[in-house]
Amino acid sequence: MIEAKGLRKVYGAKTAVDGISFTVQPGKVTGFLGPNGAGKSTTMRMIMGLDRPTSGDVTINGLHYSQHKAPLHQVGALLDAKAVHTSRSAYNHLRAMAATHGIPNARVDEVIEMTGLTAVAKKKAGGFSLGMGQRLGIANALLGDPQTLILDEPVNGLDPEGVQWVRNLARYLAGQGKTIFISSHLMSEMAQTADHLIVIGRGKIIADTSVDSLIESQSRKRTLVRTSETTRLSELLARDGVRVEQNERETLEVYGVEPIRIGQLALDNRVLVYELTPLTSSLEEAYFQLTKDEVEYHSHISGGPAAPGGPGASAVPDGASPAGVAANSSATMEGIQS
Amino acid sequence: MSTATVSKKHAGPSAGTHGVNFFRVLNSESIKFRTLMSTKLLMCLTFVAIVGIGFLSALVRWNFINQMVTVGRQGHKESVQQAVQSFPAGSGFDLYNLPNAGLNIGILIMGSLAVLFIASEYATGMIRSTMNAAPDRLSTFGAKALVLVVVSYVLSIVGGVVTFLIASPMFANFDLGLGWNTDGVIYSVFTGGLYVSGVALIGLSLGTLLKNPAGGITILVGIMFVLPFAGQFLAFAPGDFWKYVPQYLPSEAAGRFLSIGHVDGTLDPWAGGLVFLGYVILFMVPALIALKKRDV
Repeated sequence: MIEAKGLRKVYGAKTAVDGISFTVQPGKVTGFLGPNGAGKSTTMRMIMGLDRPTSGDVTINGLHYSQHKAPLHQVGALLDAKAVHTSRSAYNHLRAMAATHGIPNARVDEVIEMTGLTAVAKKKAGGFSLGMGQRLGIANALLGDPQTLILDEPVNGLDPEGVQWVRNLARYLAGQGKTIFISSHLMSEMAQTADHLIVIGRGKIIADTSVDSLIESQSRKRTLVRTSETTRLSELLARDGVRVEQNERETLEVYGVEPIRIGQLALDNRVLVYELTPLTSSLEEAYFQLTKDEVEYHSHISGGPAAPGGPGASAVPDGASPAGVAANSSATMEGIQS
Repeated sequence: MSTATVSKKHAGPSAGTHGVNFFRVLNSESIKFRTLMSTKLLMCLTFVAIVGIGFLSALVRWNFINQMVTVGRQGHKESVQQAVQSFPAGSGFDLYNLPNAGLNIGILIMGSLAVLFIASEYATGMIRSTMNAAPDRLSTFGAKALVLVVVSYVLSIVGGVVTFLIASPMFANFDLGLGWNTDGVIYSVFTGGLYVSGVALIGLSLGTLLKNPAGGITILVGIMFVLPFAGQFLAFAPGDFWKYVPQYLPSEAAGRFLSIGHVDGTLDPWAGGLVFLGYVILFMVPALIALKKRDV
């Protein structure tokens, strides 16, 4: 169990983490979400005793990280895949780390096998690809078979098989009663892996809840409508002040209206509708909704190029980037032409 | 304790259940030291350089004495004894100091290696793994220091012995009776090892303080090789006071430590050793404080 109380970290004039309190429970996978620069990594570094909190306190199983007699058996952490000397082989790196706790070399072979590094274990870590480096970092974290696992962006650079492996590993270890704390900016990944979510933005916690209730609390009612007369139906709906978006050919997304009213309106005006589907928000959308005011580093692409009518935007209707969300919400009727 | 039993249950026998202690950290650091190709190469290079430079330096002295004896100075030839005594006393040119003839190159390489031993961990990010495994931090510094001291000491002593074994027969023709039982030979072998170890500790401290290999090595070279050069210019400053300042520089004080006997106007060997030890502590204490207090 990880407990943070009023944790705060100030670097010069910048407050990276602003007095946050949270608890990470054992037996669950807890996701730690937030935009770049929100304070995720700083928080994890403070948990691991690498950075000293400006104020506040954080403990793991009741003790500060440095107070544990056998820290590698208590906590395994992947904070940065590059926490390895580039000229040393993966095997020797793990051997040196294992030696600090008298962990036998057999365990080193075991984690190498487990993370699929066997073929490259004797090669210099500096030559590893991003994904291989990530696997080595995870192997390092697992070395002491720790009670608590802290992973900062573990799936960065991993291939789909690796992503799946990390997901299964996290779920399996949580099932064994261990505490798993994973930061990520891949919402879809967290939706499949995490039981509980802590969302952070600009150093403050903006949500601390289960995955389902986060989606529910942030979801907006939407209906997917497929019709051959998109322009006409849009105009009819717009007359009532309803927000409509078009992201694909012959497809509209209608906000805040019950499907039955859309069907009625279409029937009254003899517009052919061949699909009418209520949509629930994905975690990704819920997350953007939640953090859109907290994003520190906006990509300043003003409306035009990212406009929803553009062909590029059609493949990912739910707005894969913060810029996309901003463009969507300001979309107006004249932009819609199929 | 409940957490202990829980972790025991989950930690399979394969991972063991040992805690971290100084000897395990020491083992880890020695593995780190041994498993870098650059370190091994540098070790070999240091040994070859100590002996090689030592041999050349001995050759220069032999040549000087030979010149004095066969050709002479200003027309009249000198005896071997006169030639030997014309070396300035206590400046490291005495023949009993032959084991340390190549020591300066050892200082340069071992000092740089010491800076690298920790600064490269900062440069690569390895330091975060290290500090997670040994979160009290100071044990890591202690273990690194011990590894460096042992390696430097052994390397310098072996280098010194081999240098003397090669160099001393060269002087046999002068009939000086130069051998292991000559006053100061054994002394200078062992103090030479201490000198290099001390420089390694200064290097480790600089690497810790600066976290940067290039910066650390530059400053170390500045202290050990540029300062004494600059110190020579102080002798031209007006007043007697400045003449006595350079002998307190780290390299000069340590140089006196390697010599035997009292020389007027300079530090005695034991005092030189203490001054040098003072410098080692002067660098180590801030490094230890910074390591403990600073964010990694």
